[in-house]
Amino acid sequence: MRQQLEGSHAVASAVARCRPRVIAAYPITPQTHIIEHLARMIADGDLDSEFVSAESEFAAASIVLGAVATGERAFTATASQGLLLMTEVLFNIAGLRLPVVMICANRAVSAPISIFNDHQDSMSLRDAGWIQLYVESNQEAADTVVQAYRIAETCALPVMVCMDGFFLTHTFEPVELPTQEEVDRYLPPLRFPRALNPARPMTLGGGAEPDNYLEYRASQHRALDDAAETIAHASTEYAQVTGRDHGGLFEAYRLADAHTVVVALGSVMGAIKDSVDALRHQGQAVGALRLRCFRPFPSQALVRALAGAQRIVVVEKALSAGAGGILACELRACLQQAGSACPVHGFVGGLGGRDLTVNTLTAVIDAAAKSPAPACRFIDCHETGPLETG
Amino acid sequence: MATALHEIRFHGRGGQGSVSAAALLSVAAFLDGYEAQAFPRFGSERRGAPVEAYVRISREPIRRHNQIYEPDAVVIQDPTLLRSENVTAGLRDGGFVILNGEPPATATSSSAAVWLGIPASRIGRACLGRPLPNTALLGALAAVTEWVSMDALEEAVTNHLAHKGEEVVLGNIQALHQGREAAVHPGPPA
Repeated sequence: MRQQLEGSHAVASAVARCRPRVIAAYPITPQTHIIEHLARMIADGDLDSEFVSAESEFAAASIVLGAVATGERAFTATASQGLLLMTEVLFNIAGLRLPVVMICANRAVSAPISIFNDHQDSMSLRDAGWIQLYVESNQEAADTVVQAYRIAETCALPVMVCMDGFFLTHTFEPVELPTQEEVDRYLPPLRFPRALNPARPMTLGGGAEPDNYLEYRASQHRALDDAAETIAHASTEYAQVTGRDHGGLFEAYRLADAHTVVVALGSVMGAIKDSVDALRHQGQAVGALRLRCFRPFPSQALVRALAGAQRIVVVEKALSAGAGGILACELRACLQQAGSACPVHGFVGGLGGRDLTVNTLTAVIDAAAKSPAPACRFIDCHETGPLETG
Repeated sequence: MATALHEIRFHGRGGQGSVSAAALLSVAAFLDGYEAQAFPRFGSERRGAPVEAYVRISREPIRRHNQIYEPDAVVIQDPTLLRSENVTAGLRDGGFVILNGEPPATATSSSAAVWLGIPASRIGRACLGRPLPNTALLGALAAVTEWVSMDALEEAVTNHLAHKGEEVVLGNIQALHQGREAAVHPGPPA
């Protein structure tokens, strides 16, 4: 049954149907509504779970680490400074190969302080060893968080579901929640063979020496690489249970015969699709590719999907200051490695909640077909004027 | 390109319930069988600060998550916003302006707009015991635009406010209808 729901409410309901036994969090805008809904469900007796209101995000991450280490399913959510405060623990969760699931309600990072959306928080944690899935809509957010548990528990890797703050978390739109019966069919109870148990003492997270640390890291890299197949599979199987498929590693939009392909993450793809339609209407061979899975970075699948492109336009909401757009850099690297000379136009925009409108995006895409590829341009930057080099 | 049938922008102040009004309207449109989207644009979350909220109503799935710059209607919950905010910015020709209070003597927007003043705070005080203008303004909007049905608005109010108790639900339904009446039969100045 479709319902008109706030995004935070929708994902909280989907999380609840995954039956997490421990939920720990610290409030931070724009994530707070998610946790408030879960706390209310527990207080109302609708969810059998232990809610821990932590004293910081560092503690919240530590609590879910501990909970999963004892073999219980757990959940947390955060954003922005909260995610950064978790950083040390997030590397630990990944290194310990614990199947933790969290939602990052994407928000800009201070300074200057901004409560609004971009992807700087989660993109800054791209090297933490977590799988990162970015969603376009609240329907996809609710469906993806269920897939996230399946992926995490299959791969023994943590998964971060990234949903845009405000643009999704605070938006009411129609969502069909997966039913409890569907979730139970799709997601078996957590079986974690390495769970800490006083009856069977063992160490989780012992030290490593120069003669074996590197092997731990190499195996973590391989596990993430291998997770790509599990992620694609989890999406297909979810579609078999619910009838809803948002793409595995990426979603292609009017891509087959496209000369210009726009690549982006998250909810901005909705406006990009409207821009693509407008430019198609003018007879331009434009398409789009929405990367759903940013970690692992699905290089081979991307190279194949983009083989027909004559130019790629990356629109991203994060920046490696001093280097440029993160997604553009990684895409160039994987294309170059595969021997492709396809130019990648790098655009950074939408930072700190700046709206990327259909008109703006249409102009950016249209201009790209007529100009050499910029390494990194800022969209709609007042200091330099629209489309000028920042 | 998929464009929404109707785009509505709410202007209010933090704490006045602009976000709730937008959410209620989107729920009502959804119940009427449309695709609908509602979301707020907060400044930083301060009581009393200007707040905007947006609603799209469409027959097609709504993909874009952008703010609304060229609304078909604006709903202004606090008339003092007319002094500080360009509340009618981008209003489409023939668009609707639903204002809590009396329309200003010199309407600031294009003459093409339909200005309607509704004594929504007074209705709120009568029906809810507090000068909350939301549901009266929604009733007026429904009356002049016919974009959503009163049945759907009633159902949205009933479901959305059920947790606040029957008295609040009934008061808001009463306010919906009084807002509607005020739009259909404008009375003497509030």
